[in-house]
Amino acid sequence: MWKIILRTSSSSSFSRKTLTHSISFQLIQQNITQYQNQPHFTTLCTFNSNERTRISTDPQFHFTRNSKLLGNGPGYCSAMSLDETSCCWNCKTQRPFLICESCGSVQPVDHSVDYFRIFGLEWKFDIEDGSLEGMYKNWQKKLHPDLVHTKSKEEREYAAEQSARVIDAYTTLRKPLSRAIYLMRLEGVEVDEEQTVSEPELLGEIMEIREAVEEAADSQALKKIQSQMEEKLRHWSNAFANAFGSKIFDEALKSIQRMTYYHRVNDEIVKKL
Amino acid sequence: MLKHATKRILAFGVADTRLSANRILPRFYHERVVDHYNNPRNVGAFDKNDPNVGTGLVGAPACGDVMKLQIKVDEQTGKITDACFKTFGCGSAIASSSVATEWVKGKQTEEVLTIKNTEIAKHLSLPPVKLHCSMLAEDAIKAAVKDYETKRAKAVASTTDKAADA
Repeated sequence: MWKIILRTSSSSSFSRKTLTHSISFQLIQQNITQYQNQPHFTTLCTFNSNERTRISTDPQFHFTRNSKLLGNGPGYCSAMSLDETSCCWNCKTQRPFLICESCGSVQPVDHSVDYFRIFGLEWKFDIEDGSLEGMYKNWQKKLHPDLVHTKSKEEREYAAEQSARVIDAYTTLRKPLSRAIYLMRLEGVEVDEEQTVSEPELLGEIMEIREAVEEAADSQALKKIQSQMEEKLRHWSNAFANAFGSKIFDEALKSIQRMTYYHRVNDEIVKKL
Repeated sequence: MLKHATKRILAFGVADTRLSANRILPRFYHERVVDHYNNPRNVGAFDKNDPNVGTGLVGAPACGDVMKLQIKVDEQTGKITDACFKTFGCGSAIASSSVATEWVKGKQTEEVLTIKNTEIAKHLSLPPVKLHCSMLAEDAIKAAVKDYETKRAKAVASTTDKAADA
């Protein structure tokens, strides 16, 4: 059961004529009429831009009550900009990154944080093998929905979204091909699905390889082709890393195309094995 | 048996697709696509070096598909006498190229250039996400015709050279 607490003395909170507050004030009035049997009301006007949408769509919103907050009043976010999540929604102390350091509450998802930043990596293709797993486990230890079982509904939702995002980041960055495609997208270059190519050498080569896979007599032959494919994938991954590092995006795109083809061949081989 | 182009794993219910005209079923392959998959027509290859054969080789790099479409043209009449294809890709890509080979047979080379991907897509009831497969088929037809024209031009040029030398 959620308690709605309104702090009527906090008229200063409404002195800032932001849209969030004006909406919230109207909604608070609605709630006052609904919950008139409760004598004491206090509000926590802890809105940031992410919560704004939540309020406008959900008329029956809930305020969370945190024991740390009552009596702790460092004031509201000094940042007026509506598109920046600068403070923790809970304790409002500092800039949180996925989760607040000081009060430990999970933050809502900020889509401007890209996958590389979640893992503390730069925007480049080559990453060390172990760097993802360690960070991934650490994040899940803090963000996993099971850990926020007893907390507020909002925080549970945040935890679900955040840990889903971390999982997406992990799976995208783990495989070289998806990592390459994601990197290109960050730089604004999309791999267009509609585009058809007509390079006879590349396509001829792929055709031959695919036919060889179809006609392969035994698993040994298949494994041989597989190792050849892996060799080629390594070669083209390096080519991509170089091209991307030098910002030659055409070359990078070509490398991605080749990698996609070799990857498909590998998938086929795996199916056959 | 020409299994190359047809070895794919599909999830479909053939019986259910008959009722799909009135009901909205999630993501079933259309009857015709399934038919082309189960009863492949015109799978095969012609000799690339044959002067009457045009080969169109196209690929969609984003999904890793390759499609080869070959036409055999009668040089006197300019009519396409035979066509065959080989496609490595999804069921929709295979069906699109199969339909393309069926449609080009018996037509003039100029005429088949007007075959549009939208017609192929409509014939197979392709969902939006698979429209690029029909685009691939259209491009394959065009590439095959272009290849044939190029070969012919070269052949004509070399015969005129020979005549000039003689």
